[in-house]
Amino acid sequence: MANTTKLNVIFGDVTLGLSGPGFHYIFAYDRGGLESLVQYGKEWLYRTPKPAFWRATTDNDRGNGFSNKSAAWLGADLFSACTNIEVAVDGQSIPLPIAPENNKYSDHETAETVAITFTYTTTTVPATTVTVTYTVDAVGKITVATHYNGVAGLPELPVLGLRFVMPTPATGFDYVGLSGETYPDRMAGGRPGTYHVEGMPVTPYMVPQECGMHMDNDWVTVTRATTQNNADPDHAPYSLTVRQAGKPFAFSCLPYTPEELENATHLEELPAERRTVLTVYGATRGVGGIDSWGADVEPQYHVAGDQDHDFSFVIDGTVKY
Amino acid sequence: MKAEISWLDDPQTFRINQLPAHSDHRGYQSVDEAAEHESSLVQSLDGTWEFAFAKDPQHRPVGFYEPDFDRSDFDQLAVPGHIELAGYGQIQYINTAYPWEGKHYRRPAYSMGADHPEKGMFSQDPDNTVGSYVKSFTLAPALQNKRVSIEFDGVEQAMYLWLNGHFVGYAEDSFSRSEFDLTPYLQDGENLLAVEVFKHSTAAFLEDQDMFRFSGIFRSVRLAAKPALHVEDLTIRANVDDAFVTGDLQVALQLSAADKLAGSVKVSLLDDSGQPLWTAEDEAASDLKLATTINHVHLWNHHDPYLYHLQVEVLDAAGHLVEVVPYQVGFRRVEMKDKIMQLNGHRIILNGVNRHEWDAHRGRAVTMEDMLHDQLVFKENHINAVRTCHYPDQDAWYDLCDLNGIYMMAENNLETHGTWQKMGAVEPSYNVPGSLPQWQLAVLDRAKSNYEMFKNHPAVLFWSLGNEAYAGDNIAAMDKFYHDVDPTRLTHYEGVCRNRVYADRISDMESMMYDPPREIEKYLQNDPDKPFVNCEYMHDMGNSIGGMNSYIDLIDKYPMYQGGFIWDYIDQALWVKDEVTGKPVLRYGGDFDDRHSDYEFSGDGLLFADRTPKPALQEVDYYYGQHD
Repeated sequence: MANTTKLNVIFGDVTLGLSGPGFHYIFAYDRGGLESLVQYGKEWLYRTPKPAFWRATTDNDRGNGFSNKSAAWLGADLFSACTNIEVAVDGQSIPLPIAPENNKYSDHETAETVAITFTYTTTTVPATTVTVTYTVDAVGKITVATHYNGVAGLPELPVLGLRFVMPTPATGFDYVGLSGETYPDRMAGGRPGTYHVEGMPVTPYMVPQECGMHMDNDWVTVTRATTQNNADPDHAPYSLTVRQAGKPFAFSCLPYTPEELENATHLEELPAERRTVLTVYGATRGVGGIDSWGADVEPQYHVAGDQDHDFSFVIDGTVKY
Repeated sequence: MKAEISWLDDPQTFRINQLPAHSDHRGYQSVDEAAEHESSLVQSLDGTWEFAFAKDPQHRPVGFYEPDFDRSDFDQLAVPGHIELAGYGQIQYINTAYPWEGKHYRRPAYSMGADHPEKGMFSQDPDNTVGSYVKSFTLAPALQNKRVSIEFDGVEQAMYLWLNGHFVGYAEDSFSRSEFDLTPYLQDGENLLAVEVFKHSTAAFLEDQDMFRFSGIFRSVRLAAKPALHVEDLTIRANVDDAFVTGDLQVALQLSAADKLAGSVKVSLLDDSGQPLWTAEDEAASDLKLATTINHVHLWNHHDPYLYHLQVEVLDAAGHLVEVVPYQVGFRRVEMKDKIMQLNGHRIILNGVNRHEWDAHRGRAVTMEDMLHDQLVFKENHINAVRTCHYPDQDAWYDLCDLNGIYMMAENNLETHGTWQKMGAVEPSYNVPGSLPQWQLAVLDRAKSNYEMFKNHPAVLFWSLGNEAYAGDNIAAMDKFYHDVDPTRLTHYEGVCRNRVYADRISDMESMMYDPPREIEKYLQNDPDKPFVNCEYMHDMGNSIGGMNSYIDLIDKYPMYQGGFIWDYIDQALWVKDEVTGKPVLRYGGDFDDRHSDYEFSGDGLLFADRTPKPALQEVDYYYGQHD
């Protein structure tokens, strides 16, 4: 039976709430993004997801000067702000529903789908924008579409993705993709399959650096067992699944942001694991390998800053397909 | 003879009273012992030694080797091991520049002219640490009343040896076995052995490898007794005819006698199931040559490392068996044909790695367990070749490569990049060995030690003259040495690409490091003289090994492209206790307040320093598997 329930829409003053069977999502205008993603009573977000532009510098990046040339993306990764928000209900754009605009609504509004688009303006010079559109349906499925506007003069990107920081550490993750840690220029040896990874291993490179990339995935399911909710004594594992929308995606699932990794010169300097950092990538630069003191990554594995990039994926709702 | 500390300063003094280098065969008292590889003629001196550390030569305990010297304040130290890892002397990691960079201005002896001997550079060096080692031993019964020599498999970097207060000899070359005859000074009951180890000598200029800089007796030490008749040297040439059907075995023996060279020698070849195929006997003589042919010989290669078994039995004049020498024999033929390197008539494709000896607990004092693990990793990931960068390894490694069919580029102990490569630029104004006559014998000795020790290993396909030492007359002399003594192998040296004047005198193959694939392709498209090998490529520092297909694609396109050796096999880092958490953590250059340092540049392995594989290893497995 198709689910005939419609999406409950809560037109708040600073947020837009969407709920349905087993899920409740809050998009915050003041926080510039998806603030809360609750399924079956469990919160999946620590802070609003933001575009990911940086990867922790690899030894090869340092050696060939890529980090110097593309350092602007580190600032953009940390500081790019949400500068515009648009809402569409059942495919129709509506004025941003904050007071007094939202005075016309009631406490029992519904819709088939709601789409909300956040525009992030980068701190780069020149600046560019990234739009992230979340389209939510009645069973809580979220289709996320991201568009990067290429602007002449922008340096090459280390990565382009969307980063989800979750409140507590994952116990592990499962995925259908390639074995091991893979990159665009180092994935031929990855064996396709279904894999389970215990915890969130940080590849123990001598100097912590970009790691944990998984190329070419159909889906990834992140499992956690704890929450930060003081009223939730349940420690049974629970999961969230990200799925490809049309073409396979890349992701990493680590306990750290790139900036945390970037700062450490040894593994033991990394902070205690407190969060899950799941990043879904639309583009990622290769790691290179000719040498570590100047040779560039081969051209086909660069991510241009002056060209548009689009990627999309799905966050499963509470009804599986 | 009296030991002179000035030998440390003189590049022309590098071995005093050392026995000549010879093959790495071992003598046994019986056939059973030989089968068990447990020789009662050998007495290990590994274990706890008395030890005193001095921060420089001026503070060393002069005369500590005298039996009546007061050594009550000596500590204890484990042999084999590095002095620095036992807590004496600062740990340092540095790549190109010399370890004294920023602390001492130095030019190698004679590099600024024949009138610049640089006396006192190391003998009066305030940073040249000294380890004074003492070991007491009583000869095991099987060694008594025989000639006895002592073998040091690795002492970094210069050593003086005394027995019972008598000076025995002096050696440099940290990575080659140094052997001395102790017979004249042995006494009944307890004997007192003393070794004085200096961290630096002129050898330091020749041993500028990209590695942690250590000192000490870091490989095994043993006594080896020679029976009344003894095989001093064994040269095995196991070749095959043009049709690759008939094996051609030539065995040359050098014998010595305690008294009179009288008796006989029996030489047998057995197949791998123990079936005898050939036996020959001859009268004992100082030099013996025996030869045979083997029909339908089973050739040795990577996929089928078939080993025959050679057994030499030495009998005295009364017909008593006094010594048995076993050796594994692999028949194979390495040759350059139509400018392509071939093994048994097939083009060689090198799916190789460079391998430093490394153990994160023990530094370069690696264990058999480490070596067996490494062989397993090779096997599981289609790695078929290893370059012993940039020094000879422990001899057991060569046996394992024979056994497992790993092609070896056997490199002698030489790297001098600090004398010609500065800030990445080629600047050879004070290069050694260069063409300086005062440095030639030292490097030729290193080549000879490498050749004599490992000449019988089928796994060794190539002799490598060293690494990043630029090119001059002395490197050319090394190349000539290898060709003169060994027509069955090819030579390798990369550094001649820095000085093409020597192109026709150095290296049978064109070797480059870190050359981009498109540059290699240009070379290959231009009707080159020599086949191409990457002696180092795919620099696996941190998160790397991207784009390997661009190299592998060349294999099918260009027959003269013969693969290469990934840099490198294992990260060099050391386990230490974290000062904050108390937990074991891996540390690298600069973490020991060592300056100047090259910090994390030693982390280029396919394996992490703890021998767990890096994620990139699956990529190597995939690509190497395509041409395995």
